[in-house]
Amino acid sequence: MKAFGKYVSKYLLSFFMFALALLLVNILAFAFTFGGIVFLEYGTASPANMLEVMAADLSASGISEERSQELSGHHIWAMLLDASGNCEWSVFLPEEIPTQYTIQDVAVFSKGYLQDYPVFVRNMDDSLLVLGYPKDSFMKLTGNYLPIRLVRIFPLFVTGTLAIDILLLFLVYYFSKRRISKNTEPIMTSIKTLSAGKPVNLSIQGELSEIADSVNQASQVLSRQNQARANWISGVSHDIRTPLSMIMGYAGRIATDTAASGNIRQEAEIIRAQSAKIKDLVQDLNLVSQLEYEMQPIHKEPVRMSKLLRSYAVDLLNAGIPEKYSLETEISEGAETAVIECDARLISRAINNLVQNSICHNPQGCTISLRLDCSDSVVSLTVADNGAGLSAEKLLELKEKPHYIESTDERLDLRHGLGLLLVQQITEAHDGEFQIESVAAYGCRVSLKFSPAT
Amino acid sequence: MDHSFLHGKKLLLVDDEPELLKMVTAILMDEGFQRLVTAANMKDGVAAAKTEKPDLAILDVCLPDGDGFSLMEQIRAWTDVPVIFLTARDEAADKLAGLGLGADDYIGKPFLPQEFLLRIYAVLRRCYKEDTPILKLDGCTVDFSRAEVDKGGEILPLTAMEHRLLETLAGNEGRIVTVDTLCEALWGDNPFGYENSLNAHVRRIREKIEADPSKPVSLLTVKGLGYKLLARK
Repeated sequence: MKAFGKYVSKYLLSFFMFALALLLVNILAFAFTFGGIVFLEYGTASPANMLEVMAADLSASGISEERSQELSGHHIWAMLLDASGNCEWSVFLPEEIPTQYTIQDVAVFSKGYLQDYPVFVRNMDDSLLVLGYPKDSFMKLTGNYLPIRLVRIFPLFVTGTLAIDILLLFLVYYFSKRRISKNTEPIMTSIKTLSAGKPVNLSIQGELSEIADSVNQASQVLSRQNQARANWISGVSHDIRTPLSMIMGYAGRIATDTAASGNIRQEAEIIRAQSAKIKDLVQDLNLVSQLEYEMQPIHKEPVRMSKLLRSYAVDLLNAGIPEKYSLETEISEGAETAVIECDARLISRAINNLVQNSICHNPQGCTISLRLDCSDSVVSLTVADNGAGLSAEKLLELKEKPHYIESTDERLDLRHGLGLLLVQQITEAHDGEFQIESVAAYGCRVSLKFSPAT
Repeated sequence: MDHSFLHGKKLLLVDDEPELLKMVTAILMDEGFQRLVTAANMKDGVAAAKTEKPDLAILDVCLPDGDGFSLMEQIRAWTDVPVIFLTARDEAADKLAGLGLGADDYIGKPFLPQEFLLRIYAVLRRCYKEDTPILKLDGCTVDFSRAEVDKGGEILPLTAMEHRLLETLAGNEGRIVTVDTLCEALWGDNPFGYENSLNAHVRRIREKIEADPSKPVSLLTVKGLGYKLLARK
């Protein structure tokens, strides 16, 4: 969501840049369109300039031939009125223009038009120079006054309007951004969930519903694929069980057959033991995939951990472990009554994987200890051994390297056992905490910490 | 422990895999079971259960014409024969369904012959008690039908609690039984805080069955876990 906010802020900047650029383009377009006219009308032929030029050239005998031609070139007529309103001199004067004016006439035409000709005047000491431009060449503003109040508040009005415009623009922008955020937030969250491989179901109305539909579809595809993968693994593990039963069954029979030679019995015992490993592997693989894709319903119920731990230890001892291994079970005072909400079968499975790891990695034998401790907020189950342990590098490797079921490359050396992954997954499924410590030559200790049931 | 009194029981095996059926039959024959009936599907299974009246049914969950659960329901309609499920299906769900229906046990494939036999014996022993249950220990014999210990001619009576405790241990002869299981056997579900009482009962049993109660050889303590009863070799 943070990234999205940043994206929108970045968008805000470019939005303002765009507005600025638009303004600039408008000014340029205006200049391009009106530049020619403005230059032309305010250039040498402009009334102000023409009046200046003519006034300078004016003498008792009128204007020079050169100036006269200039006036004719622009279809401008000119006349000079004396103080009493009589035309002293004129050039190109149209017929309909009178040559005698009262003071009222002058007052009226000096502000505007004379017979529809826009006229411009200049005071020449005791006379008045009048230039008449062609009809429809200029528009004169006859009401050429503004209240001083208006002039005074005009800058304030312009800046105020601009400020309000900007504020409104910002508000519209802010609310649209908020609406987009609000609508996109569930989509973002869903995509994040989806990228973690979990299914989502979005329901959004409005213009973003199409995106929500796409996300839901992607989720369905993902779920179907996960389901297919989990089904595939469970199918394979199912199909492998019956043939494996026969291998284990017959190997077991040969191993205990007194008629067979010692050698054959030993070899049968190896087949039996290795088949048992395949059996564990298949079960782990199936369970990991079921937990990974959340296909396995977890049947949580309040379980007294001391009872579970004793029952596990007794099952293991009754099934028989080699002499070189010894198992110690210790339930600390106060932990006897500790209860957690869990799937007892899965927790036993996790303990078994840890114990089997200790057995597997210490062929010379070791003491394995199971321990249960309990405080107010934590029930902690520890499986430790005093065997070979792991070096610091190995331990780091174990913590950091992904298992092949989660690995995306082909390097087998970067993968570790399925057993520990399953322990981690079972712990996670119970909102527990998984901790592994080990010192080379001093053994290995794995703790699982859970919240006690209330 | 001597299981031979159970070898006369008739066992019904239903599995669609002929090879597996053959192997299981061989394992059971080796062990001493002689009365074995097999069927490869549900229809034959029901028919065999009707005509042969087995003492124990071992059913596969996946059958070509149905599943083991409904087969058990059909059989249970007229007989209380104990049932053990044998299945390659995923454990958790089936286990619950199976035991919820009243199955006596459940064995997941693949299994070891020893484990398979142990489960069968456990169910048979629970359902069919020995006619003259006499337990032979190192220094004495225990007659469960009379609730008496015969210690070199000296007859010592067992209390009801001691009898039940000793019976539970004898049922798991040679195997450790947790204090939890023993307490449940004596005081019912979810007993708590009975460990001291249990210790007292164990002490009194030892006085009756052990030559030297302070150095027990038959009823052993397994530290932190429970107790184990050893029969005479």
